[in-house]
Amino acid sequence: MAARYEITYRRRALASNLLVGLVWASGLIAVILFFTSAGTSPFGTIGASVSSIGILCGLVGSDFILVMIVLAARVPFIDRTIGHDRAVAVHRSLGKPALYLLLAHATLLLTGYGIEQGLNPIAELGPMLATPNVWLALIGLLLLVTVVVTSLVAVKRRFSYEGWHLIHLLSYVAVAFAIPHQLTLGGMLATGSLQRVYWITLYVVALGSIATFRFIEPVVSSLRHGIRVREVESVAPGVVSLHLAGRDLRALGSAGGQFFVWRFWTKSTWWHSHPLSLSAVPTDDSARITLRDLGAGTGRLSALPTGTVVSVEGPYGLFTPAARTSAKLAIIAAGIGITPARALLEQSVLRPGEATVLLRASDADDSVLWSEVDALANAKGATLYTMTGPRSPSAPLWMPAPDAERGVTLRSVFPDLLESDLYLCGPAAWLELVEADARDLGMPQHQIHSERFDW
Amino acid sequence: MTVSLKTRTILGASLGIVVVGTVGWQLATLDQTSTSTSTSSGARPTVTLTDGTYTGTSVQTQFGDVEVQIVVSGGRITDATTPVLTGNEGRSEQINNQAAPILRSELLASQSTSIQSVSGATYTSNAYITSLQAAFDRAKA
Repeated sequence: MAARYEITYRRRALASNLLVGLVWASGLIAVILFFTSAGTSPFGTIGASVSSIGILCGLVGSDFILVMIVLAARVPFIDRTIGHDRAVAVHRSLGKPALYLLLAHATLLLTGYGIEQGLNPIAELGPMLATPNVWLALIGLLLLVTVVVTSLVAVKRRFSYEGWHLIHLLSYVAVAFAIPHQLTLGGMLATGSLQRVYWITLYVVALGSIATFRFIEPVVSSLRHGIRVREVESVAPGVVSLHLAGRDLRALGSAGGQFFVWRFWTKSTWWHSHPLSLSAVPTDDSARITLRDLGAGTGRLSALPTGTVVSVEGPYGLFTPAARTSAKLAIIAAGIGITPARALLEQSVLRPGEATVLLRASDADDSVLWSEVDALANAKGATLYTMTGPRSPSAPLWMPAPDAERGVTLRSVFPDLLESDLYLCGPAAWLELVEADARDLGMPQHQIHSERFDW
Repeated sequence: MTVSLKTRTILGASLGIVVVGTVGWQLATLDQTSTSTSTSSGARPTVTLTDGTYTGTSVQTQFGDVEVQIVVSGGRITDATTPVLTGNEGRSEQINNQAAPILRSELLASQSTSIQSVSGATYTSNAYITSLQAAFDRAKA
């Protein structure tokens, strides 16, 4: 068993490294193809050299933008191998370099062309903008600046998710605006060149992935399954289970605690999307999600009328048995974070004693679905612990004060912690405390699997 | 038991086919372009041209003006020049000066007006081909 998880982990780690390597390789390919297709001495004069470096910056910058689109497209293969979290992390790390390269592209070409014409870069601005399609590309660049700036952590916080996402969609407009000047002025799409094959392929892969997995799939999937709200059940104060009816729901294909992005089509709720796990394995015609009144958007869901049309995107995430790397399984879930934990437990094939589950609630009302997890743990031979009460003021901060005072530690709950995969789900602040605790005990990052309630 | 395929699997496979198809089609056209240029170096003009020097119309683009002149000798186009080739501003002039020799060599190789336009100089290429067509028409007359 242990060896099997070890092998699948190594395989995934290798695929993950290959994928990240491929990102950088694609930039290199763009550079190499420039040299194979560049005509007469691209570095012949000072002006030509500056221009050529400018063109290279533009090529690598565009390459990164397209790769970023692929990484954000939730391509199933990428999500399965490196996980959406990692894909988004790589996407984020490319954002600023791509923007800097494209800014350098504009500046260096102004300088390079300027040198060739005997003009300073500012004076070259006039003739440059008079060149058809350049002003379109400039608008694209300004849109891209907007997108990157609004994604800086400090700025992003000021926006709601929906507002930020709307601005982020401008990057497609930016890409579209950049294409005309690549056709009429750039050599990257010259007919009969290898460069053209590469760039057309990259465009098809990037825009195709986005169109397929972010736009077409949710629509087709929602139409196919025809999901509607059948019943809203109040589970505890502020917590509701939505019972859903639909067609062929098993084919939603959720593994373990993966989540879906749900949208409920009433006048007041349609604009808000909700990332939520199924709280039970679906049957052919029914499924269940359980949620807490978190934000203003989620609060309205407890009043959803029966028959509300539901659209669905997913499943996403790596909170699944497929992400296992070690012999033992440790699960800690807080509050409503129990839903993916419950699904993970339900779908895991376990030997008796392999899994230990710790459930955390701030009060009795918070102990949602505990009886169901208890039954599952019994059936699968897993050990179950529970902790109820507000967070302790002294270390370990993530557990209730009485438990912390009794000397309970992560190690005492999970004696085999270092040989375990630790699956965590709960509010982000709480989750970071547990993660820090686990890391202090020497737990490697790849054994920690977290599902956060934020974006 | 009926097997229900995930929507994602079906769509993913379709995208895969589109990507592979695009790459294949691109590589195929790449092949054609390279073979056509290599085999057509000794090509004869598809129409009979009378010996002489013919000037095409002057074609205006937003980048500048282009006029092509061809020299026909022994029924073959032996030279092509651009008596008029202006750029409306510095950058266009540069582009035009880069594109003209490429278009000229394509013309001499293919001996026809069906030549590939130069990427990065699409407007100039189209103007070149238009002017060339006029020169051809005069050479046929």
